[in-house]
Amino acid sequence: MKKTISLVAALMMVSGGVAAQSFDDAFNAQRGMYGKGHSFTFEGQTYTTDHPEEVAAAAEANAANAEALLADAKAMYADVLAVDFGWTLTKGLLKSANKALEAGDFRKSMQLSARAQYHSRMGIAQYHQSQQEWIMAVPN
Amino acid sequence: MKIIKSLLAGASLALVASITQAATSGNTLASVDPEADRIALQSFFQKRFPQVPLDDYVNGIYALDSGSREQWEEIEEFPPYEFDVEEGEVLFNTAFANGKSYADCFANGGVGIRQNFPRWEDSQGKVVTLELAINQCREANGEKKLGWKKGKIAQISAYMAYTSRDNVFDVQIPNDEAKAAYLDGKQSFYTRRGQLNMSCANCHVAGSKVLIRADLPGPALGHVTHFPVFRSKWGNLGTLQRRYGGCQKNVRGVPQKAQSEKLRNLEFFQTYMSNGLVVNGPGARK
Repeated sequence: MKKTISLVAALMMVSGGVAAQSFDDAFNAQRGMYGKGHSFTFEGQTYTTDHPEEVAAAAEANAANAEALLADAKAMYADVLAVDFGWTLTKGLLKSANKALEAGDFRKSMQLSARAQYHSRMGIAQYHQSQQEWIMAVPN
Repeated sequence: MKIIKSLLAGASLALVASITQAATSGNTLASVDPEADRIALQSFFQKRFPQVPLDDYVNGIYALDSGSREQWEEIEEFPPYEFDVEEGEVLFNTAFANGKSYADCFANGGVGIRQNFPRWEDSQGKVVTLELAINQCREANGEKKLGWKKGKIAQISAYMAYTSRDNVFDVQIPNDEAKAAYLDGKQSFYTRRGQLNMSCANCHVAGSKVLIRADLPGPALGHVTHFPVFRSKWGNLGTLQRRYGGCQKNVRGVPQKAQSEKLRNLEFFQTYMSNGLVVNGPGARK
């Protein structure tokens, strides 16, 4: 009986060791619970739950920043299309960001560009993750 | 000491489990085994829906859901694709400007051959779907290509499927190049895409007969046998590759191009999974 309990405990420890929380897991858990703008501690360091794109979009709203952010978002969209993992809403977001930029609404343009860039970054992450994980879905 | 021993035992079990997974799943050219994949998929569905006979999977979701089947059988009393098959026959038999016709491009005059497509063509080094073969035939005879998703190409394909009804699918994987295409299609089928992060398998393996809003996704087994289909949503006839694009848009992914290498390989994999089932296209779907 004791042996069985030890074995189960050992198995749990092994699986726990494999599943140790990564920074991404911690970030996603905190983001899911508290949304953006929240601070949390991971391995002794303090972080916020903001995505990098949200940090970029919070910069001063001016033409130069809006143009730079839109250019970055377009470049990352090209990257995600190159690996064939684009999302459908991204193109429309880029179009709207461009329209807002032309209309002089820099804040809106920056927010839309940031969202488009986030979509593309997630699409690229999805591509890399899928290369590792697709096989786990195959019945055998 | 006991704990160390147990830890070692646990670690060994975990290692064995991962090795077993790698040995049976087939995610490399060396390890992929199409026949094992086909049998595994069949057995998945037979365990999940033990009351459904294997040969009924050609009817898609109507094999699994009696309510939907009742409505579908009523639709099939006056099949909505009937006029398309007739039009397809006319198009198929109409001579090209050079006097030749589709019959000159295909084995057995193009009659009763749907079950052999898609096929690996060594001379082209790629998978050739029936629709691709139709357009290659046109181009070889000096005609313009047809659009890939609907209209005339779907009608011609529907007629060719109709002449092949009850023939058993027999997609062959003759060499390693073909096997690589199969593996690529297999990976596509099980890979999550789009903002909703879903794969074909999410809806059509684990999710078949599970409500997605008001829809019941059909099983992957037998998925291709009834194409091209007249979908009530479309209001007309469409090819399998048209449907692929629609699925990819549904999960908010940028759709891959019809008849691109990726989608041809996907069709190759999917059709191989249905080897042994009969052609029953064209079909009617919601």
